[in-house]
Amino acid sequence: MNGILPVFAHLAIVMALSPFFFGVTARVKAVFAGRVGPPLVQPYFDIVKLFRKKCVYSRTTTWVFRASPVVVLAAVMAFSLTVPFGEIRAPLGFPGDILLAAYLLALARFFMIAAAMDTGSSMEGLGASREAFFSCFSELALFMNFIALASCSGNISLSRMIGEEMPLSGGTLTPALILVVSSFFILLLAENCRIPVDDPDTHLELTMIHEVMVLDHSGIDLAYLLVAQTAKLFVFSAIVVQMIVPGAAGDRAVGIGIYLAGMMFVSILIGVVESCMARLRLDRVKYLLLISFGLAFFGFIVSLWRK
Amino acid sequence: MAIWLDASCILIVFFSLAIISTYRTVGMIRVFALQSFVLSLTPLFMHADALSVRDATLFVGTLALKAVLVPYILTWAIRHVSMRAETKSIIGLGASIMGGTLLIAGAFWVASSLKLPGTQVSDLIIPCSLATVLMGFMIMVTRYRAVTQVLGYLVMENGIFLFALSLFDAMPLLIEMGILLDIFVAVFIMAIVINHINEEFESAPAASSYSKMGESP
Amino acid sequence: MLIFLILMPFLCAFLVFLPIGKKSRLWLLFGVSSIHAVIAGSFWRELPPPEFSAYLTLDPIGLIFLSVISFLFLSVSAYMIGYFDNEKRDGRTLVACLLFLLSTMTLVSVSYHMGLMWVAIETTTLFSAPLISFHRNKQSLEATWKYLLVCSVGIALALLGTFFLAIAAHDSHTLLLPELLAGQGSMTINWLKLSVIFLVVGYGCKMGLAPTHSWKPEAYGQATGMVVVIMAGALTQCAFLALVRVSQICFKTGLYEFYSSILVVTAVLSLIVPAVFMLGERNVKRLFAYSSVEHMGILVLGLSLGSAGIFGSLFHMINNALSKVVMFLTAGSIAQKYGSSRVGDVRGVIRAYPVTGIFLLFALFGGTGMFPFATFHSELMILNSAIMSGRYILFVIAIICLALIFTGLGKVVLEMVYGEPTEPILARKENFMMNAAIAVSACIMIVLGLWMPEPLKKMLQDAVSMIGA
Repeated sequence: MNGILPVFAHLAIVMALSPFFFGVTARVKAVFAGRVGPPLVQPYFDIVKLFRKKCVYSRTTTWVFRASPVVVLAAVMAFSLTVPFGEIRAPLGFPGDILLAAYLLALARFFMIAAAMDTGSSMEGLGASREAFFSCFSELALFMNFIALASCSGNISLSRMIGEEMPLSGGTLTPALILVVSSFFILLLAENCRIPVDDPDTHLELTMIHEVMVLDHSGIDLAYLLVAQTAKLFVFSAIVVQMIVPGAAGDRAVGIGIYLAGMMFVSILIGVVESCMARLRLDRVKYLLLISFGLAFFGFIVSLWRK
Repeated sequence: MAIWLDASCILIVFFSLAIISTYRTVGMIRVFALQSFVLSLTPLFMHADALSVRDATLFVGTLALKAVLVPYILTWAIRHVSMRAETKSIIGLGASIMGGTLLIAGAFWVASSLKLPGTQVSDLIIPCSLATVLMGFMIMVTRYRAVTQVLGYLVMENGIFLFALSLFDAMPLLIEMGILLDIFVAVFIMAIVINHINEEFESAPAASSYSKMGESP
Repeated sequence: MLIFLILMPFLCAFLVFLPIGKKSRLWLLFGVSSIHAVIAGSFWRELPPPEFSAYLTLDPIGLIFLSVISFLFLSVSAYMIGYFDNEKRDGRTLVACLLFLLSTMTLVSVSYHMGLMWVAIETTTLFSAPLISFHRNKQSLEATWKYLLVCSVGIALALLGTFFLAIAAHDSHTLLLPELLAGQGSMTINWLKLSVIFLVVGYGCKMGLAPTHSWKPEAYGQATGMVVVIMAGALTQCAFLALVRVSQICFKTGLYEFYSSILVVTAVLSLIVPAVFMLGERNVKRLFAYSSVEHMGILVLGLSLGSAGIFGSLFHMINNALSKVVMFLTAGSIAQKYGSSRVGDVRGVIRAYPVTGIFLLFALFGGTGMFPFATFHSELMILNSAIMSGRYILFVIAIICLALIFTGLGKVVLEMVYGEPTEPILARKENFMMNAAIAVSACIMIVLGLWMPEPLKKMLQDAVSMIGA
């Protein structure tokens, strides 16, 4: 039982906190647009509302379509287990778990794409093809980030690369860290369908990527996908925060405070970026992701140089 | 202050990469102005504990010349001398970005066998300046239009200036030579503006277009 | 004295902008050049003392170079007096820029500090650019642009090379040449190697060595004959002087092997490229431009071949300048008379203008290094040193290239001289001043080819021993 308890605690934190930060970002965007905006807890309401609804399935779909929300949610949650949240250590950690993390994300993406294709709708196929194309570049960047982090910390376990044992901030490797953080932030925006890449608010089929793929999902299935989406954003933000403040040594309460403040900051930053930037033209998204790769690569080189 | 110096070195390289991956000339000029701004701050970071008059003049001079005057003239030239806004490159942007990252790696590789003798302020200055020089060179080679080629040259020159900063204390008058190069470039840009060199010179000399060449009395 | 030699043309350049007549401007240029030549000539008796804490020093190498540019400016200014008799333009910019160039080139030849030398060479680029776009048309602007772009990249690389040199010599805390040579033991070899590469590439762009020669045919094709003489004879050789200074440093630090291996590569390229490109070319100015690339290759080849080669190379520097006077001033005369320098428009010069026709033949034989001309003599020295040092392949390549270049140039020039005559646009008499300026150089070239005066020989030997070979 001892091994299981932290896992549930971890999952509970993700589920409980992630919609809140999702709401923060939405609020920031509303303020920038001059609106009052929805309450901060609106994502909770949305999720609860969706859980109370029935699913509707198209007759052309198969089991793939039905399985995909479950698999996506499970994969994202499993991914979250490899990431520490401030003072709370990651329940799942072993050398080489970066590969597990990366492929859990890939699994989630694969099922999203497969389900979108399964509907047989041309619009969802469009979204699926865009998602597949951009993931080619974003995975490249993700792996380069992991390599750079591994080179900085000398570890190949995600929780240790960004955890307490990382000798990054304040040390000689700080320039490399700056590069990796900025690279990862671009990746965060791309992976979570935020603005320079994808617009989470729009329902125009011309521009969207993620939203178009979930068009046919409804009820509990859609709730699962929404939870997975918020959780993914939460975990990515957690990684960014963790890279900047890798576990404050000392008082536990202060540590948690700093951590929550960091999360808050990242969520607001995402909102600001989304409000200030325009969506990139679709054929230029790949350049953004290549720059993310380039930054991570540069960080990797600097870390080798400074060793 | 070492951390600020490191950060500005990294930023300068990052801005070079950003210039490579920008497709509008005005955007390139803006990023260049940012890069020059960061560059003008570096001498201050180097001598944060004891600022001299030389640091201050260098800061003001670089800021005025590179971050304000040159970008302003270039922007003016684009607006008024009917230059087209988008750039034209012989290789795609994606290939340019990948090429840029490879150049960064190359610069660090070369710099690893070149250690600056004596004490130094930051070990990142030399590889970063080499990388910037190389990327500036790449912009010059891959872009056709006169303005973008000048921008490539300017980026290259920023790299040289950064390199000169590492020699700030060791050698007198070297940085002043770098500033002379700046003035040279300013004149050079004037030449474009005045003479309206607004076409791209892309083709190798085709025999026909030179039929009248040499007819000058 | 040295500072006077630099400042006098510089200050006189401002006089040009005063509202004085065309004639007086040209005589001003001639006067300044004559004074410059007289002073430079007087240095052959005794070298002047160093000035400005040895930043300005004239040594035998610098003196040879200074005399060459002084002579070139004298010839050109005499030629211009005749040339502008038939011109409507007043040539204000031309005269001013030439005076500025004279000043900065003097600075190059007397600067004894690698940084100062770089500054001087940078300034020569700046003042020479307006000369190319003398005729404001599209092609000449394009030529100017190419020239500026290539040369400014070269200058930037040379600056980087100078910085590397400063790091390599960080113990001596200066770039003054004597102290660089004295403190050779403490040079950091890696930095020095990098510095040498950058300096060769950088100043090579300015010289117009092969991979970066692309500006030459265009710029020389567009600029007027007088300007090209200065560019081909003096401006490019400024950069060569810088390379000679680098070789001085390389000898002292035992890096000459490395240096010479770089030089050989560029030299061979500079011989092969013109040999190939000349074959299809119909414009005599562009042909002469390729020939200039070849001569730069020969100069650099000599520099890479040890003491005998360097002797030949320095001698060739003089002969190259003389041959450029004959070649480009003649081309300028033809361009003025026929309104073109393409072989289709210009034929049978010897019947219409016998003297110019003979000069054109001189240009062909002098420019390709045929017998009574001095270029033959110096090229022979360089090729001989290649054989003596056992580089037979190099020798064979050079001979083949020289033969090809002679064919390429000869085909066009002979057709121009002897072909079926075409009517010149302006039927004019030959101008005495123009022809005199060319004739003097041609005569000196023949004399030097047959007999080398003792003072010149001694000066060349001094220069070679200074370089340290």
